[in-house]
Order: sequence, then C-alpha cells, then structure tokens
Amino acid sequence: MLQHMTFSSDASVCELHVNRVTVQMGKTTIVSNLSFDAKAGEFLAIIGPSGSGKTTLLRAMTGELVCSGDVFLAGQDVRGLSPEIQAEMRGVLPQASQISFPLNVAEVIGLGLIDRRHNKNARTRRLAEALSKVGLSGFEGRNYQDLSGGEQQRVQLARVLCQVWEPVPIDGPPRWLFLDEPVSSLDIKHQYQIMQLAAEYAARGGGVVAVMHDLNLTLTFADKVLVMQKGQRLAFGATEEVMRSDLLSKAYDFPLSLTRCAVAGAPIVVPFNGR
Amino acid sequence: MSEMTFSERPMRLKNWFGIEAAGTGNREPLARAVIALLVVITAGSMFAGLAIGPISIPVLDVLPHLPAHLFSSREGAPAGVSLRDWIVIKDIRLPRVVLGALVGAALAVSGAVMQGLFRNPLADPGIVGVSAGAGLGAALFIVLGGSALAPVAAVLGYYAVPLAAFVGGLITTLLLYRIGTRGGITSVATLLLAGIALGALTGATTGLLVYVADDQELRDLQFWGLGSLAGSNWEKVTSAAPIILVMLFAVPFLARGLNGLTLGEAAATHIGIRVQRLKNISILMVAAATGASVAVSGGIGFVGIVVPHLLRLTIGPDHRYLLPAAALLGASLLIAADTLSRTIVAPAELPIGIITAFAGAPFFLWILLRRRGLMGL
Amino acid sequence: MRTLFHSRFYSLTAACALTAAALLAPSKSLLAEGTLAQSAHRIVAVGGSVTEIVFALGEEDRLVARDTTSNHPASAAKLPDVGYIRALSPEGVMSVDPDLILMLEGSGPVETVDVLKKSGVAIADIPEEFTDQGILNKVLAVGEALGVPEKAEKLAEKLKVDLETAQSEADMSSSDLRVLFILTARDGRILASGSETAASGIIALAGARNAVDDFSGYKQLSDEAVLSAAPDVVLMMQRGENHNVHPEEVFDHPALAQTPAGQNKRVIVMGGQYLLGFGPRTADAIRELSDQLSDIRS
Repeated sequence: MLQHMTFSSDASVCELHVNRVTVQMGKTTIVSNLSFDAKAGEFLAIIGPSGSGKTTLLRAMTGELVCSGDVFLAGQDVRGLSPEIQAEMRGVLPQASQISFPLNVAEVIGLGLIDRRHNKNARTRRLAEALSKVGLSGFEGRNYQDLSGGEQQRVQLARVLCQVWEPVPIDGPPRWLFLDEPVSSLDIKHQYQIMQLAAEYAARGGGVVAVMHDLNLTLTFADKVLVMQKGQRLAFGATEEVMRSDLLSKAYDFPLSLTRCAVAGAPIVVPFNGR
Repeated sequence: MSEMTFSERPMRLKNWFGIEAAGTGNREPLARAVIALLVVITAGSMFAGLAIGPISIPVLDVLPHLPAHLFSSREGAPAGVSLRDWIVIKDIRLPRVVLGALVGAALAVSGAVMQGLFRNPLADPGIVGVSAGAGLGAALFIVLGGSALAPVAAVLGYYAVPLAAFVGGLITTLLLYRIGTRGGITSVATLLLAGIALGALTGATTGLLVYVADDQELRDLQFWGLGSLAGSNWEKVTSAAPIILVMLFAVPFLARGLNGLTLGEAAATHIGIRVQRLKNISILMVAAATGASVAVSGGIGFVGIVVPHLLRLTIGPDHRYLLPAAALLGASLLIAADTLSRTIVAPAELPIGIITAFAGAPFFLWILLRRRGLMGL
Repeated sequence: MRTLFHSRFYSLTAACALTAAALLAPSKSLLAEGTLAQSAHRIVAVGGSVTEIVFALGEEDRLVARDTTSNHPASAAKLPDVGYIRALSPEGVMSVDPDLILMLEGSGPVETVDVLKKSGVAIADIPEEFTDQGILNKVLAVGEALGVPEKAEKLAEKLKVDLETAQSEADMSSSDLRVLFILTARDGRILASGSETAASGIIALAGARNAVDDFSGYKQLSDEAVLSAAPDVVLMMQRGENHNVHPEEVFDHPALAQTPAGQNKRVIVMGGQYLLGFGPRTADAIRELSDQLSDIRS
C-alpha cells in the first residue's frame, strides 16, 4: 500500500542510495563514511579482502545494524519502514543459516511465501518452481538440518526468491535482492547456476547487491562493482572499469592480473607471477 | 538393524498414517489429523478423569445434570443422584479435570513458546527457573499477604496469588532473557546455568520465608515444592482460567512469528516479522500462563518440555499446528497423570509432580543425550 | 442506625431460634445429636492421638479408615490410609463411605475439609493443646462425637489421675534439666522445637525445661543458638522400627558437641507418636522421659 502511494516515475524509486554510511562496533569503525548509488536492473558486486567491511555494509543496508548516514531504498529511508514493508521490497540472503528446529525444505521455503494473496495451489507451485531454479527439485520433504551446507544455502536462496518473486511487481517499485556470499559453499556448477539466477533477476528489472569473494564470477556476472578496503570505498563503477590489475592488486595487497581465458575467451583474474 | 535418525522418524510415521502424498513435504494434513485425534484423546481423558476415582460412580447418570446445575447456586444434588456422587463429580473431579486441562495446556504451550523464543528445544519454564520465580512470587504473597501486603491482598482477592506468581515469573523471564541472550543469540549453556543460579536464589528466598512463616503459611508453602492438583476447587479454576484462556487464544497469533524466528532474529526481521514485539508478547504470555499454573498447582515439571518435543517428532515444528496440538496433548497428559495420582495409592494420593517428574526426567536426559553434539554444551 | 442494627439483630436471633426449633422439634430433645453420633458406625479417624483414643474407648470396631499418622496400636495400622493428616484427599476420604470424620485440629488442606463438609458427612473437630488438660479435652471431644460421653469421662478420669501421678513423679526427679528437642539434624542443620510445640509441651510435663523458648514452632538453629541453648540432653524421635539414631551422629555437629549434652553424649530417643501424640499413652511417655532424665541427673 505504501509503495502504491509513493511509487511514481521519479528515478529515485529505482535506486539504492547509500550516503555517508558509517558503522561502529564499540570503538572500532568497520565501515567508514561510505557512499554509492545503485540502480534496479543492475547486478552490483561488493568485493574486497576479508575484514574490509563488506558484510557489515550489507547488514547496515538491510537495517540489521545501526549505522549513521542514510540508506534509501526506492526513495524511502529504510530505517523508517516497518519490517513488513521492507520484506515486500527486498529479500536478504544471510551468509550462514542455522535453523533451530527440524523444519523440512518445504517449510523453510514456505517462510518466504509472505504474500497472503496467494492460495494454497499458487504457493505449492511457486515453491516447486523456486526449488527447480536452485536445482533442488523433489527436495520438499527433506529435513533441512540433514542437508549439506551447499544445499542449505540454495534452499535459503529459494526462500528469498519466493519472498521477492517478481523483480518488478505491478503495484510497486522494483524489488531488491541482498545476497551475502551466495555461492561461498557451492560447487562450481551450482556457483554458475546461482549467479545466473541472480543476473537474470537483475536483467528482469530487479536490483541485486551481492557480497562476493570469487573475482572470476564477479567478472562474469556483475554489472557494477564496489571495491572496499578497510571499511572504505576504494573504487566504484562498471565492472570493466573497476576490475583492473592495478586496482585489484592494491585492494587485495597481492599481485593480481587480468587475462583472457585461452579456452573460452572470457576475462579471468590470475595471480601475477612477476614475469 | 538400520538406526533411524531424529529426522526420519516423522517421515516414517507419515507414511504409516498414509496421509501425505510422497515428497511434497506438506505435513499439514498429518498435523490436522493428529490435532483431530488429540481432540478426541483430550475429550476421552476428561471423561476418564471424571469417571475414574476411588469411589465408583455411575458417571453417565450424573453427567446429564451438570450443564443445568453447574452455575446455579442451589445446594444439594439433583433428583436421582446421591449427594455423595454429586459432590464427588461436581466439586471434586470436575474442577480437578478442568484445572488439570488448563494447567496442562498452559505448561505445554508455555514450553513450546519459550523454546521457539529461545530457539532451543531445552528451554522450559520449569528448567530455566521461571516456575521457581513464579513460585517465589506466590510464596512471598502467602507469607506477606497477611501483613505487609494485606491491602493488596484485600483488593485482589482470589487473583492475588496468581498475579504475584505472574509477576515473579515475568521478572525471572526478563532476567533470563537479559542474561542468556547476547547479540540476538541465546546461549543454552548460559541459560541453563542462569536457571540454576535463579533456582538457588529463589530457593534461598523461600528458605528465608520459611523462617518468618507461621505454621499455616508453612503448610501452604510446602505445596509449591511438590506440585499437585489435589486442592482443586472452583475458586482456583476461576482465578486461573481467565489468564490461561487469554494466553491460549492469543498464542496462535504468535505462530507465524515463532516460525520465522527459527531462521534467527535477523532473518525473521527480513521476512517481515516484528521480532521485538513478538518477543515482548511471548515473554508476557509465558510468564502469565506459568504464573497462573504455578499459583494453582505448584511446580509441575517436564510437561513443557516433553509435550512439544513429542509433537515435533510427530507433526514437525510448525508452530501453527504445534501450539494447539501442545495445548491438547498437555491437557490430556496432565489429566491422565492426575487420574493416576488419585488412584494409585487410593484412598490416599500421590502428588502429581512426582509422577510427571518420574516420566519427564528420563525423557529430558534422553533428549540431552541425543542433542549433546548439537548444543555445544 | 442503632435501631436498624437492633432490628436486624433481633430478626436474626428470631430466625436462628426458629431454625433451631424446627431442627430440634422432630427429634424431641438435645439428645438428637448424641443419638446420631451413637449410630455412626463408619468412622474415619484423622490424627494419631484421636485414633488411639477411639481404641482406648473400645470403639475401634466403628473405624473404617485412618490417616497416615495413626499407626498405633498395630490393628489401627491395618485400616485403609486416607493420606497424611495435612494432605487428605477428599475423594479418598469419601471413598470409604464414612458417616463421621474425627478431625484433629490442623487437619487439612482446607479445600478438602470444605468439600467434605459440603458432602454432608458429619465432621467432629477435635481440639489439640499440648497440655495435660488438652489430652482430657481431646478424650471428651472424641467421646462426645462417638456418642459415648460416659465412657469418655471415665477414661478422662483415669488419664487425669495417671497424668497427675506421672507429673508429680517427674517434678520430683528431673526438674531444671535443659532439654533440646531436635526434629531433624540433616546435613548439620538442626531443626529444633521452640515454644507452643508438642515437644515443648511434653518436656514441660516431664518436669524439665525446653532449651530454646525464644521462638515458637520448629526452626533451624544457628551454631551460636545451639551453644547458648546449652542443652543438658538432646531429645529425638525414633525413625522407623529398626532405625535407631546413633548419638555419635547427632554429636558430629561441632556446636552441639560443645554443649553439656554433647560432651556427655546424652541423647534420649523415643517413638514420635508416643512422645508427641498427646493421647492416652502420654502419661507413660512422661514417666519414661522423666525416668531417663533422672538417670541422666544422677
């Protein structure tokens, strides 16, 4: 309803606007004075070495952590939005997802089916579709806690997908996916499958923000990249502008080099051997 | 020889029931069937509770008169029923069965809600010290109600002791939550240790009360230790029923939130759940229902841990079904245990707390053994 | 206001009188109650001393049940047990189909008593007081409830003489000794009897002094309180048939060991109901206690 009232052709409704965000834990500053803007319809990857504040930034953007500065989603300050409204606007995939009781896969994904306008059949259908998208068809009755880490991660992604199924709903602004290392515990086939899924979501008009560790996947799938270092923005821009040997080497404090894959012809990142 | 794991059990049971179409993961039909069965079982146990006792009574002859005479102030038995039979059914067994049902439901649902809230199957008002806190509240009122708190006692009447127990339970629950939860994560070890500490504290305070209590107050105090439905009467039913019924009817609205909380507090917020409000209401409900139960029946242990656990094994952890099922199973189990307590050493009786502890404590140990690896204890 | 009060008072009195008249009219006389009581033949006795009195009156054939504390004489213990005196089960009591319940003061819980009263069973409240006169009152009350007041008077007369003799003997032999009654001494915690207790009563009857009398009821004693009580002798209850308390165990308590009783290892152990029951056997209990005390004195 709220989207209804505020949804207009104003460009800002398609945007994620992050302005001078600072996150402190105790006396340590984890994210410092960081700003950027992202648009729906783009896949934004946040990269940077471990401890550079990527996950903290993501959690600040989703309202999970208290921060100073502004986070605007679709033209609205996220801190002023109720959890219900936020849940309709964006889904969040956390890094690790332990659940406390032995729910089965269908029940876990069912938690993401928050749209009450759907009847039972529609829910069942969407659930099956979501499972097939993450390559887990037929897993409905399996106990979540018995699954492998990778399978659990895909079930969680299916849950988040169910929550924000249409990237651009008829009656609201584009929706967003916030993914914290979505492919960290997956095998290579599923890494590509899930990245493909996220890229598709963006291609269909939704916004995707993903914290990434794998630079090659980032190269292949991201439209924009934010490089972080020690809690600050080191670089931000289109993938091909940001993913440069010198910049990456500086960000990771490790010699890296961009080259072209001899087989596929795609750009890849390799450790630079000094010659 | 294949050993079933924790999670296979419900699957197997499902196939046995023949309810679930294979592989859809939809446990709702099973849950509904189990709840329907539990309704029947609860009704059956209530009837058995009315029919069985040291005195044999043609209960079917008495029951038809109950609806008409229950709320009338007329003394004496209706025509065709002996006064003794009438008194036994109307003033002894019926209030006992009703109170047993209310207390059983309250304890089981409190356990389930608390486990959902703390995200741990071992959280139970009895084990983590909420019951002890409620008992202390009640004890304080019993001893001080005649002197220091006399004006309060005069205003509140029958509700004074349940309310005191509620306040005691509430303070304990809040304290536990504050101690046991850090950064949204509840540590079981901390929780159980805090429970021990709180138990010691309440024990000491109760000991202090024993010292200042007179003989009559001492006898009333002794009652909290064991837990019993022996003193059930309509006054106790009317003092506990409003609190417990409000809780039983309010709790289904928490089900979706508690389901979401399975994912953790942050993820629950992300799917649109107002976690803080959910926690506040849950704590209030648990404290109220535990307090009211403790006030009328003393500390009856293990119902809150055994019932939800058994049900999770059968119908799964979905709170939308778990909570009503827990209310029904808790009610019928407590009525059954109480019927046993009235008859096993008849014409004397055994405190029901002894029976539930004998049945529940080994069960608790069994859960501990099975989950030892998972809990990091 | 005053007239209103008076008019109410008078109408109330009149109503009471009329009711009483109506109740008494069919059965002619005040004997009505006695006649009813005499016909009671399914009696539940609650309280060890009450049961003993029923036996002493020779009316034991009318008993159908007893409470847990009623285990003397041996044939009483064979009757069905309706529970502990303070935790009676209402349906349990009703299940033996009684027409009269003799209830020693302090029986309960109050909820049970309420229901029993409601069920129409006659309940006779037997007063309890830890003095010689208290015993006689008890006997008379039981006798009246059973409808055998003459027998009761005879028994009371006999007991009175008995008690007086026992007391005068006791007064001569064992006065001035300080006796500490210990209910339990588990884990080094001594639960002792203050004033207004059965133990305090029997100690007084036996011509001795209760070592602690600055509180009433049973309380836990601190080490210093034990020392300042300075008992000459410790009195305890026998637990079960073959489970005698060893004096050494009691005097393991460091504070108690320092008292005159501890230094001389003086402890008297007697049956609980016998010692504290305040019933027909109390004269014997006084005699036995004072004998033991005078042995200690000499």
